[in-house]
Amino acid sequence: MPKVHPRLSVALCTLVLIALCSLGEAVAQRSGIDTYAITNARIVSVSGPIVERGTVVIRNGLIAAAGPNISTPPDARVIDGTGLTVYPGLIDSYTNLALPEPAPGPSPGGGGPGAFLLVQPQTRAIGGPNSTQPVGLQPEVMVEDTIRSTGNEIESSRNIGITTALTAPRSGIWMGQSALINLSGETPQQMIVRSPVAMHVSFTPLRGTYPGSLMGVFAQLRQMMLDAQRYRDSMQIYERNPRGIRRPETDRSLAALVPVIEGRMPVVMLANSEREISRALDLGAEFKLKLIIAGGRESDRVADRLAKQNVPVLLSLNLPRRTTAAMPEADPEPMRTLRERVAAQQTAGKLAKAGVRFAFQSGSLANMSDLMVNVNRTIENGLSAVDAVRAFTIWPAEIFGVGSQLGSIEAGKIANLTVTRGDLFDRNSRVAHVFIDGRPVDLRPAATTPLGTQATQDRPGGRGGVTGTWTMNINLGQGDRGATLTLQQEGDRVTGSIAGVLGSGEISNASMSSSDELRFTVPLNLEGQTKEATFTGTLSGNEIRGTVTVVGQSPGSFTATRARPN
Amino acid sequence: MKILITILFICVPAFAQQIGNPTTQQGVIPARGTFAIRNARIVTVSGADIENGTVVIRDGKIEAVGTNVNVPAGAQSIDGRGLSVYPGMIDAGTNMGLVEVPQGANGTVDTSEVGELNPNAKAITAVNPHSAHIGVTRVEGITNTLTAPTGGLISGQAALINLLGTAPKEMAVVPQFALVINYPRIGFGGGGFGGFVQAPPNLADTLTANERQVEQIRKMLRDAEAYGRAQEAYEKDKTLPRPDHNVVLEPLVPYVRGERPVIFRADREAEIRGAIKFADEMKLKAIILGGNDAWRVASLLKEKNVPVILTGIFSLPSREDDNYDVLYENAAKLQQAGVRFAISTGDAGPEVRNLAQYAGMAAAYGLSKTDAVKAVTLYPAQIMNVADRLGSIEPGKMANLVVTDGDLLEIRTHIRYLFIDGRPVVLSSRHTELNDAFKNRK
Amino acid sequence: MKKFLLISVVLLLGTAAYAQSNETLIKNATVLTVTRGTLTNTDVLLKNGKIAAVGKNLSASPNALIIDATGKFVMPGIIDCHSHSMLDTINEGTLAVTSMVRTQDVINPTDVDLYRELAGGVTTLNLLHGSANPIGGLNTVVKIKYGRPASEFLFPGAMPGIKFALGENVKRSSTPNTPGVQRRYPNTRMGVEETIRDAFVRARDYKRTWDEYRAASAKDKNLMPPRRDLQLEPLVEILEGRRYVHAHCYIASEILMLINLADEFGFKIKTFQHVLEGYKVAKEIAAHGAGASIFADSWGYKIEAYDAIPYNAAIMTRAGVVVSMNSDSDERARRLNIEAAKAMHWGDLTEDQALKLITLNPAIQLGIQERVGSIEVGKDADVAIWNAHPFSVYARVDTTLIDGTIFFDRQQDLARRPELAKERLTLEQADPNKPPARGAQSPNTPRRRPTGHTDDEIDQQEDRP
Repeated sequence: MPKVHPRLSVALCTLVLIALCSLGEAVAQRSGIDTYAITNARIVSVSGPIVERGTVVIRNGLIAAAGPNISTPPDARVIDGTGLTVYPGLIDSYTNLALPEPAPGPSPGGGGPGAFLLVQPQTRAIGGPNSTQPVGLQPEVMVEDTIRSTGNEIESSRNIGITTALTAPRSGIWMGQSALINLSGETPQQMIVRSPVAMHVSFTPLRGTYPGSLMGVFAQLRQMMLDAQRYRDSMQIYERNPRGIRRPETDRSLAALVPVIEGRMPVVMLANSEREISRALDLGAEFKLKLIIAGGRESDRVADRLAKQNVPVLLSLNLPRRTTAAMPEADPEPMRTLRERVAAQQTAGKLAKAGVRFAFQSGSLANMSDLMVNVNRTIENGLSAVDAVRAFTIWPAEIFGVGSQLGSIEAGKIANLTVTRGDLFDRNSRVAHVFIDGRPVDLRPAATTPLGTQATQDRPGGRGGVTGTWTMNINLGQGDRGATLTLQQEGDRVTGSIAGVLGSGEISNASMSSSDELRFTVPLNLEGQTKEATFTGTLSGNEIRGTVTVVGQSPGSFTATRARPN
Repeated sequence: MKILITILFICVPAFAQQIGNPTTQQGVIPARGTFAIRNARIVTVSGADIENGTVVIRDGKIEAVGTNVNVPAGAQSIDGRGLSVYPGMIDAGTNMGLVEVPQGANGTVDTSEVGELNPNAKAITAVNPHSAHIGVTRVEGITNTLTAPTGGLISGQAALINLLGTAPKEMAVVPQFALVINYPRIGFGGGGFGGFVQAPPNLADTLTANERQVEQIRKMLRDAEAYGRAQEAYEKDKTLPRPDHNVVLEPLVPYVRGERPVIFRADREAEIRGAIKFADEMKLKAIILGGNDAWRVASLLKEKNVPVILTGIFSLPSREDDNYDVLYENAAKLQQAGVRFAISTGDAGPEVRNLAQYAGMAAAYGLSKTDAVKAVTLYPAQIMNVADRLGSIEPGKMANLVVTDGDLLEIRTHIRYLFIDGRPVVLSSRHTELNDAFKNRK
Repeated sequence: MKKFLLISVVLLLGTAAYAQSNETLIKNATVLTVTRGTLTNTDVLLKNGKIAAVGKNLSASPNALIIDATGKFVMPGIIDCHSHSMLDTINEGTLAVTSMVRTQDVINPTDVDLYRELAGGVTTLNLLHGSANPIGGLNTVVKIKYGRPASEFLFPGAMPGIKFALGENVKRSSTPNTPGVQRRYPNTRMGVEETIRDAFVRARDYKRTWDEYRAASAKDKNLMPPRRDLQLEPLVEILEGRRYVHAHCYIASEILMLINLADEFGFKIKTFQHVLEGYKVAKEIAAHGAGASIFADSWGYKIEAYDAIPYNAAIMTRAGVVVSMNSDSDERARRLNIEAAKAMHWGDLTEDQALKLITLNPAIQLGIQERVGSIEVGKDADVAIWNAHPFSVYARVDTTLIDGTIFFDRQQDLARRPELAKERLTLEQADPNKPPARGAQSPNTPRRRPTGHTDDEIDQQEDRP
């Protein structure tokens, strides 16, 4: 070994140090702030037996150690875990989290028989202006391109202990490619754990253009997969030797399907009823796809086929329940519906018994606090509590190919942890801490709401809701007037009252539409007279903006900010 | 048998000579004659069957019925051996004559006037006596229909007609028999395919909207009642201010006074109950048309003596969990509960001729065969207050008769002779003519 | 846990199968064989899904199910050659040629109307695409095994078929013009022909392209295959005689148009559907060798049906056309026995001729006559037991069997009613089924059911809910 000149070795070491320093923030920020130790806690590692009392050490965004006899590092911030249980961060296996709201599309031309004859104006193609396919048939769409790192929904999920979610595009037939994201990060890049994860398919026809029916959807899926096979083959032939061959046209949509038809990228198909799932399995078998079923309400009825074809299920926890009032003039509900609702609670237990892999998803629950209530239903109906934890942790991690990074509390894995006071599924337990990528997450004050609380409402469509106390500024042409607005929302009905310099009283005719528009009327004192004022505004996060109209006056405006959500 | 056929062949052309060349459209209706149908089985409907009897027709009426009757001199004889005589069938729930081709020929559709409240839309005005539907219907043994307008809340006035005549006046048995009201429905989306329709309306909103519509009807009926009183008062005392006439309110007066019945179209239980309650409140003589849920409301119908014209025998049960035969059995259940009913096709025109099969299906599922025949003869006549003239074979009634070679309700039976108003009807129609034109095409 | 057990037990009861055996002896019935006359006081033995024997005083193994059919009538299960039951969607109406879509992708085995059809003695359906397009989608022939998964419905060995449609529906003549919106081609019967002609011309070229490729690639393995086109492949199958064409049509001129077009391209129309003016061109239909699947007597509901007559079946039968009666309606499908009898009333067909209209003839039209359509030893055990002659209006089905398994039985249906009522009470107490106390939505107003002919519903282009 030749001797290195001393000056050279110093230079080399300096270079190495500089290189190390620029390796990224993890090195630069190395300090006591990112080392944590949760001590004296119960640890449900999922990968091993439950530890009744132990310590979990987090460092550098990863789990450094976990077990009964771990000593607390001196640079760690200590969290006393007495009375707490540490779980791997929960994974919601199907969401649209962190994606922008869909822009309201052109309305499908006033219902009625002729509607589909209308040529739909082409909105800016999500897949890109040069896509060869119409919107809805663009498999090249990737959520990675549109993830945002903030939003109410992310917080609602985190508050109940979800640290990671599969987020997928919202609409279309070939909906696009999903990503697995941690629910915390300053930039989208910090959130992404893996992208792309899978191709997503829903069997929803397009409006006004082919395919306009479910039959057409299947035909078009098949045709595009055949075309993708041909695209790959012709590209390969051309690449081997282009001479003498007309060049095949590039096509990003078909290119995006090549990993799918080669079984390298899984395909998630939305299917709930037995026949929907069977159709998806048939299509998957026809094209030898690596299939995953999302929804899966009746998947237990085809459990043997799912097990044989090795198809996992992302099982929705949006368990069906009756939402309509009892009315004497109404027909009794069909037996089929009654049976379905009862049977849906048993699906998870039956899948587990049949050896079908599955993971839980929130299934667009309007109210996330229903999630744990529904998990409890599945446990009451045959699923073991141990499997219930697995279905939230290691099973989704394995299904999404991140089994070495997430899903259990083991040294070296990403430090996503959910720490509860009480057993995770206990109705009285609370989420005490949530760690994502080794950092504690700011839980809302409302996060101390018990996990297992019975849902007070199912809100159609809207997330967030207007329940809460609002500070208002009302401007009717004579400067801003303040008021306090207290609102309570149940379903799409709203009640509440207003109090302030313009008067106090109950609001009436209040409602909340599914597009987050709030309306109500209330009498106000204006220049010595009591007049009825109508407020119409749009809710966005914790803010409402809108107009106030009073008969006989020009309209004014108002804003409202929510101080404490309920 | 050969002799019988020979006689028949002689008889039919005899009719033909009487009225000229039969065509689908008739400019001249056959004249009333004197006929004796001999040695036939007579299903009187009002009493026992007469196995070997004679029916005498004269001057448009049934003159005699029995085993040993006096046959007038000069009567044309019809050999009824092996044949049966029934009263002509009556379908009490049609739009016969008001529409020719509903899809694609809007000019031929006269069932429903614009606007919600049309008590002065009289079906008899628009009945087309030369509609092809009339011809194809009567050759199957249906001699009378109640023709009702549709649409809106108050659709208009229904007419009971003979299916023979060159002008509405010739056809009318009761030109303004009943007011027709569409009781507001609980149920939407006629087509049943809801793809592009908005989300179905919620029930609470529908019931509220329905109440408002009932209020509209209530208001008009009250106005009519006041109008009637004002007109009468003026007639008696000309010193009172002279009230103007009103073509819309005027026709309502007999109905609001309970002098003539009001037909309510209603199928679901809540609709039927609502209609009965409304009729009670407004003191109307109610008849229910439709009545799919009538069996559920049987005791109320019996208590209030409200008859039901059933049109849904051949409808699919409306609820997923309904028993598969719930609508087939409806008539039998009403019969058991003592509710007055009739069986109807509920059809606009082309399918009325299959009325017998509707009655037959009810008999397959619990109604007795004799009651099934009554359900399309005497019962509708009674419900329409014309049992003195129609619905059975009794002396003095109108000679609306059908002669068959078997059970009237069975599909394999053929119609041999038909009389309406004592006039012999040639058994040809648009269908038979097209058949004759093409059956021998080589 | 107790609640869970109770609910499971109740669920099992609710979906209880009929008493079954793989051997059933129907005794002492009047057997309408269709092909070998009517046999009185005759037994029919069903074994392992087939008709094992037909005769007097047959014997069966001790564990066989014995059905005493004294006074009853046994006939083959009715075959409905034009049905849209059990389809989640009926039309892909966006394009004029949709031969790439398949009804098999959208079959729904839980459609309750299937049970009602079983109660009318129907055992086999030809599920067709709707009539929105000159060239529609591929059909599916099914046995109504209500309660079984969809895959078990598929009729083994049925010839594949496709739906064509001519006339007013494809011209969208009842759809008003929307200003500024281009109507879909074709808008006239001229365009209808051109649409079909164009499709076959392209299919013929497609076939040649593939034939040439196959020949050439035998020598050159590096040849790129042509693009597979799922729209044209079924049309090639038609040209090669491997797929039946079932063509919805009404008036004489379009019937002749399609015959001439088929002759030009060298294929046969297997059946004309509805074909209400078939009686005007019966000899041409017979000469071409097409069958006719018709309404018994529907007429007058639209212009192209105005010349329809109930003698249609009789005239065409006498001209040598294989005629079947169909329903095109879940409602009418329940009483096809009476629809067939109408041909004895209008047209004086014989009883056997009329029976064939709903048994052997539709079987021939679907290519399944080796297996069903008559009561003969060796055929599938698809039969129905009636309490009176099926051509009587007073007749009712007692029992319907498919492949020897009971799928409808009136006595068992009646017996189950109180059990279902009890099950409902229990289910309504289960937590997810309880109506919410506050904030509840109002129940939806129930939908009115469609009536008449599914093909001609004004909103036919929509998907069925």
